[in-house]
Amino acid sequence: MGSSLRSFIKDVRGAKTLADERAIITKQSAKIRTKLRDDHLPHEKRRVNIQKLLYLYILGEKTHFGQVESINLIASDDFVDKRLGYLAATLLLDESEDLLTLLTNMLNNDLHHPNKYAVSLALTSLGFLSSPELARDLYPDVENIIKNSKDPFLLKKALQCAAKLISKDISLLEIFNIEDITKILSNHSICTHGVLLGITKILQSVLLIGLDPENGDDDDGIDYANDVLSPLSLLLRDFFTRLENLNSKNIEPGYDVQGICDPFLQCEMIYTLKLYFQVGELLNSNHVLDYKDNFCDLLTRIATNTDSTKNSGQAILYETVKAIFSLNLNQPLRVLGVSILAKFLVGKDNNTKYVSLNTLLKVVPQEPTAVQRHRKFISHCLQDNDISIRMRALELSFAILDNSNLVDLIDELMKFLAKQDEDSKDLIIYTIDHLIDTFDTHTVKDENWKLDVFLNVLKLVGPFINYEKINDILIIINNTAQLSDKCNFLRKLLIISLDEKSMGISDENIGWRLVLIWCIGEYCDLLLNDNNESNAKIINESSITNYLLTLQECYTTTNHKIINYILTTALKLSIKLQGPKNIEKLRQVILGYADSTDLLLQMKSNQYEILFNQPVSVKRIVLETMPKFEKVAEKQENVKKTSKNPVSNEPADLLSDFLNDDNKTEAIAATDNNVGPTDLLEEIFGEKKDTKRPLKNGKEESIDQPLPASADSNVILPSNAAKIHDSASLNVYATLLSANSGLAHIELFFQAKSIISDLQTFCAVPKAQKLTLGQLHPSSTIRANQICKQSLKISGSGKLKLRVKLDFHLDGSPSTTNEQFDHKFDTTL
Amino acid sequence: MAVQFILCFNKQGVVRLVRWFDVHNSDSQHSHDSIAQIYRLISSRDHKHQSNFVEFSDSTKLIYRRYAGLYFVMGVDLLDDEPIYLCHIHLFVEVLDAFFGNVCELDIVFNFYKAYMIMDEMFIGGEIQEISKDMLLERLSILDRLD
Repeated sequence: MGSSLRSFIKDVRGAKTLADERAIITKQSAKIRTKLRDDHLPHEKRRVNIQKLLYLYILGEKTHFGQVESINLIASDDFVDKRLGYLAATLLLDESEDLLTLLTNMLNNDLHHPNKYAVSLALTSLGFLSSPELARDLYPDVENIIKNSKDPFLLKKALQCAAKLISKDISLLEIFNIEDITKILSNHSICTHGVLLGITKILQSVLLIGLDPENGDDDDGIDYANDVLSPLSLLLRDFFTRLENLNSKNIEPGYDVQGICDPFLQCEMIYTLKLYFQVGELLNSNHVLDYKDNFCDLLTRIATNTDSTKNSGQAILYETVKAIFSLNLNQPLRVLGVSILAKFLVGKDNNTKYVSLNTLLKVVPQEPTAVQRHRKFISHCLQDNDISIRMRALELSFAILDNSNLVDLIDELMKFLAKQDEDSKDLIIYTIDHLIDTFDTHTVKDENWKLDVFLNVLKLVGPFINYEKINDILIIINNTAQLSDKCNFLRKLLIISLDEKSMGISDENIGWRLVLIWCIGEYCDLLLNDNNESNAKIINESSITNYLLTLQECYTTTNHKIINYILTTALKLSIKLQGPKNIEKLRQVILGYADSTDLLLQMKSNQYEILFNQPVSVKRIVLETMPKFEKVAEKQENVKKTSKNPVSNEPADLLSDFLNDDNKTEAIAATDNNVGPTDLLEEIFGEKKDTKRPLKNGKEESIDQPLPASADSNVILPSNAAKIHDSASLNVYATLLSANSGLAHIELFFQAKSIISDLQTFCAVPKAQKLTLGQLHPSSTIRANQICKQSLKISGSGKLKLRVKLDFHLDGSPSTTNEQFDHKFDTTL
Repeated sequence: MAVQFILCFNKQGVVRLVRWFDVHNSDSQHSHDSIAQIYRLISSRDHKHQSNFVEFSDSTKLIYRRYAGLYFVMGVDLLDDEPIYLCHIHLFVEVLDAFFGNVCELDIVFNFYKAYMIMDEMFIGGEIQEISKDMLLERLSILDRLD
């Protein structure tokens, strides 16, 4: 070809920098554009320019301006031009182009061209660019070649082309004549492998139409089962023989691939036969299903006879296995299929491992026990170098996991986790998620072992576990039946953490730290009160306290989540430790955040400080050990909320609930300005019924934040509020908003008689109930006759009773006034 | 069972051959981006220890193989039989090799239109149409002489 194309390519290659290259390309592109627009451009030049344009296309440049020109080339009488024109058309155009209509005529002409190479070009291009319009217009021309040509070279292309056209316009089924195919099959001289490939393709197109449920109705006038499938089934016997011969043939020169005879054709034939039976089953056609046993026999023979060591043989075996499982053939065949796949796992070839794991994953539901039998090989793949193999082995491990192999498999998974690093973070997260699910769905008798698993998990991959999953792990720990198991768990955690020699736990291991801190808060008294404790030298009040202090120092600026946990644990320890020195140290930790810039920490610190100073008897009630946490059905609805639930019963995360409540009251107050009191109530009741309320609040948070708090500082007393307390300084009213299914919502209204500042409310409920206290709204300072509101959520059972204690400063006096009163509601939870 | 596209690029990611059989991808900017993504994905993979298959999108997985400095990539449906497409690629490379006589990257760069001719004799609309190397080479030598 022209030397100027060569020099253009050389120039581009020779460019020293990217900028140079760009300059050359832009210049050429502009030049080609002008040249092609020039009607008087000599023929030679035109051709060269199109060639250059194609090179630009390969480089990823814009080439749309050459589309018309390339179609013009097709019209040329010169074969070389025509070829270039078709190449350009197939590269630069696509099916959506209007220009395709321009092509129709040219294709039509060339399909009848005396030169078979021109016909071949037209067929190839039509195969590429087939659109429904082209399909309708040109199918008869293609069919003409199928009917009349004796040249395998054209025949194979025409068959492939027809297959494409039929899939573009299914109404062509009406004209499609199976006898044309039968005729070709019976003529040995033209029935080459290429032609057979074409036949499988056309059959696939036809069968896929039958398989598509959208074509099920015969409103297009075709009765698929009788008019199409039944005549098509006459080919089955012939196909079986051909496939069998191919498969058993050892060597056929020209079609041999690694000792396998034409794996391409074998695969296509197996796939075609599979489609036959899929359609047959869909339409319940005996014409096809009568041959099912023959097909099973044939697949068995292929599965046993094909060499599985070569890629080409594997391709055939893989196609065979896919046929077995997509038709759900008889059990011996399925087991055979699984063992073929298992054989793929053994070798070193990652390609076969990939294919095998992928397929095994799909067939587990059909043949679970057969797959389980190969557990060893699957576990082996967990150690593979290729992350995608590891991922699949991991998925498969969880897919075959059941009570019988739980322990062994989880051991394997631990070995697997031990070798993972930063790069396989996704795999680690996947493992954790599924481990937690596994323990949710499978009952494990040996809970000690279960906790050991999580100890290992935390140790190995703690830094990669997100907070939500940490919460799930905490739930599992919390729900463990035996206290001694929890104790053991904490002991092991502490020994590893406190032992200075073992530097196993890095500061990045937040997961480990959070679990440890939480467990200390919950269970350390059990450990400390155990007189038989042999590790008393390592585990004692001082070591634990000092450890918490170290952690607090270490994370004080870097991780507020941990500090939050530490504060709660410090508070809890105040009733669990004996030594006043240690307790004082912990109090100092809490105090240390009283003026933290982190609002959450600051609030927590202040509230805990107050709690800290309460008598032990009061604290015991508040800081009681957490109850067993039942996962609620809500989980599906709002996963995030569920994982927070267990903790929200505990003072630690009360604050997040405080915030939620805060938002709610704000939201209500915002409506307050626009509607009357009755409407307000409706609004509130309406909202209570809304099951997705927590989510809604979450949304409101963002909407309401910009609202200045002072804008809605007028809280109005609802008409149904009952007075529950009356003193010289203030009146307290209460409304019971709702009480059902173990959950009550109450609002308290504090009406000041003179100026009250720094109002603090403490509420207590009976032991069987849990209380969540909302924030005072609009503020803890109330002017005379103004009202301040607080909402309460009580969950549990029994009579609704409240003991309320109020601390405040009256009329700006520095001394604190205390008031306390009880109130019983008429409702029982 | 159809190839969505065939791609050939070198280790630096410079495209040497590209053919989209799937129309939706043939919009030039889109295809340009896809190729860049494919190159990044494949070139980052471990040549020795990783499989020659990798998932690319919801509808496409890549089957690829490196021959010297050139990657040959096919995009196929997720449910397709991977190993057979490796055979496709290998056959294509064998034919290129036989046609050009010990093919190298430069042969393909300067004779890209011939490489397309070979591709088009092997594949039609994304389907393999001829698998006999002898038959292909015989046909190609005739076509080559028509110049």
